[in-house]
Amino acid sequence: MIRLVAGVLAAAVTLALPAVLDDSALAVYILLGLAAMVTVGVSLLMGYAGQVSLGQGAFYAVGAYTAALLALNGVPPLAGLVAAPVAAALFAVVIGLPLLRLRGHHLAFATLATQLILLSLAGQLEFTGGDIGLQAIPQFGVGSVEFGDAAAYAYLTWFGVAVVMLLTHNVITSRPGRALRALATSETAAASAGIPVGRYKLTVFALSAAFAGLAGGVYCFYTGYVAPGSFPVLISIQYIVMAVVGGLGTIWGAVAGAAAITLLVQGLDQLAGLPGMPSYAPSVLSYAVYALVLIVVVLFLPQGLVPALTGRLSRTRTDPPVETR
Amino acid sequence: MSAFLTYLLNGLAVGCAIALIASGLVVIHRVTGVVNFAQGTFAVVAGLCTSSLLGLGFPHGASEVAAVLAATVAGLLTGLAAIGKPGVTPLSALIVTLGVGVLAYAVEIVLWGDQPRSAPGLAGAVTVAGARVQTQYLLVIGVTALTFVALALFFGRTYLGKALTACASNPYAARVVGIDTRRMGLLAFALGGLLGGIAGVLVTPLRPISFDTDVTLIVNGFAAAVFGALTRPVITLAGALLLGVAETMAAGYGYGSHQLEIALGLMLIVMIVQAGRRTTISEEPA
Repeated sequence: MIRLVAGVLAAAVTLALPAVLDDSALAVYILLGLAAMVTVGVSLLMGYAGQVSLGQGAFYAVGAYTAALLALNGVPPLAGLVAAPVAAALFAVVIGLPLLRLRGHHLAFATLATQLILLSLAGQLEFTGGDIGLQAIPQFGVGSVEFGDAAAYAYLTWFGVAVVMLLTHNVITSRPGRALRALATSETAAASAGIPVGRYKLTVFALSAAFAGLAGGVYCFYTGYVAPGSFPVLISIQYIVMAVVGGLGTIWGAVAGAAAITLLVQGLDQLAGLPGMPSYAPSVLSYAVYALVLIVVVLFLPQGLVPALTGRLSRTRTDPPVETR
Repeated sequence: MSAFLTYLLNGLAVGCAIALIASGLVVIHRVTGVVNFAQGTFAVVAGLCTSSLLGLGFPHGASEVAAVLAATVAGLLTGLAAIGKPGVTPLSALIVTLGVGVLAYAVEIVLWGDQPRSAPGLAGAVTVAGARVQTQYLLVIGVTALTFVALALFFGRTYLGKALTACASNPYAARVVGIDTRRMGLLAFALGGLLGGIAGVLVTPLRPISFDTDVTLIVNGFAAAVFGALTRPVITLAGALLLGVAETMAAGYGYGSHQLEIALGLMLIVMIVQAGRRTTISEEPA
């Protein structure tokens, strides 16, 4: 009952916010939603399937470039937005086939390497526009309706977040979801219980990539340009920080983590922009905050904020925390 | 032919720098099981320290030694953050070292700014069998050779080194005979910082170092370290030299913009082949 009320309340607030926020606040709101979309995927991948990806930004970039290239070549924006997650998922399947044989720190490095290679290629190839990237991407629109103002993009973003959360919820509560939890603790045991370990890992990898791709698609229409510089390695680390802070393997935790970190960094940016602050203040503050939050949460709140809070409140949760390695 | 020899010697020097980074990774991973993402940071700290100290007018030698000591302290601090708290799993510790690396960005930008810095090294060039090679490259090769000999003596001939090896092969048995594994882990981190610092001091005169150079360094170092499966120093050294020569040849013969892809692609292939060879039983750590 409480869950239902909380859910309805959250939905109402989400829908009401775009109407009351001004343009700069809306930009933060949209970026927050996009980060939440990616982070839900990271949380699913790390918390449930136990796989670490330090290259989630690569899928974000694949989605953004796909949508941008299609839109620039005259394909309707809606088709571009649908193609973004599909392309990201396909890319994940192609690289996941060899990479998911790796585990732990090997997989972490391999995904990081994938993103570095992808960014380097995007910066050199002709059709991706090199280091300058792609510009003058048309506005998003369905049929004759064009998305002119930021509020429309806010609704689009949070509609995407809702879809992603619903999908993830259904995956987690299904039979494959239980299988994923099993393979996160021991792949050998899971395989001997008849779980197709390789196929499930690949599917979750592709699903989390699709979430990131969708976010990338919305991002490219909203900002109107994409460049390799939009997807630094730090962005992938940022998603890990958000997922870890919110609590791995919890859907609401991912959204809460994304919100907490986005608002924190935004607040610090305001602080750094005050007169009298040195010019390097914004980057120094954001680096320091990401790092300190990550270290403190990993060491002292290993389950993340949301599970720690709900555990404090109810203490009735009997299911043990998902073990990640 | 002389161009080939120049590229070969330059490549060996680049490989030596990679080998120092990679051996730091191997030392830390062997003793603690942690893959240290902050390994490149130690080199950056040492490089930036050298350039500052030399800029302030300190003599060569003293500046370099001080910079390496600074990197050693950085290694010890990273170790305290990563394994200082009992009960932290190696993968959590990996994420902590990632955090330390990013935190170092903030500190480095405050202290040194975000522009690349360089330091003067050994000037001049010598001619070896018709090939002109900068003296600094030869210095890199010589110092690395000495360092590896010293490492071999340390691990093979001293009690401390043997205690470290004991922790690496069986932490439980090491504790039983009275070795403090946590202290040994911290020592391994300090040693990793020392090795990273030596690499940084040697590389800075060859190419400018900025706060985010650590990504390239760690990627190359890790690529070499996986050759040795993160545990075997000699194979790591061979891997690093191969990588350095391959990259320098690629750059020399006109594929300079693809250096990073070559290193990363090589690393991925080696890791995937190794993963395929592993047996199911050894895949499941307790």
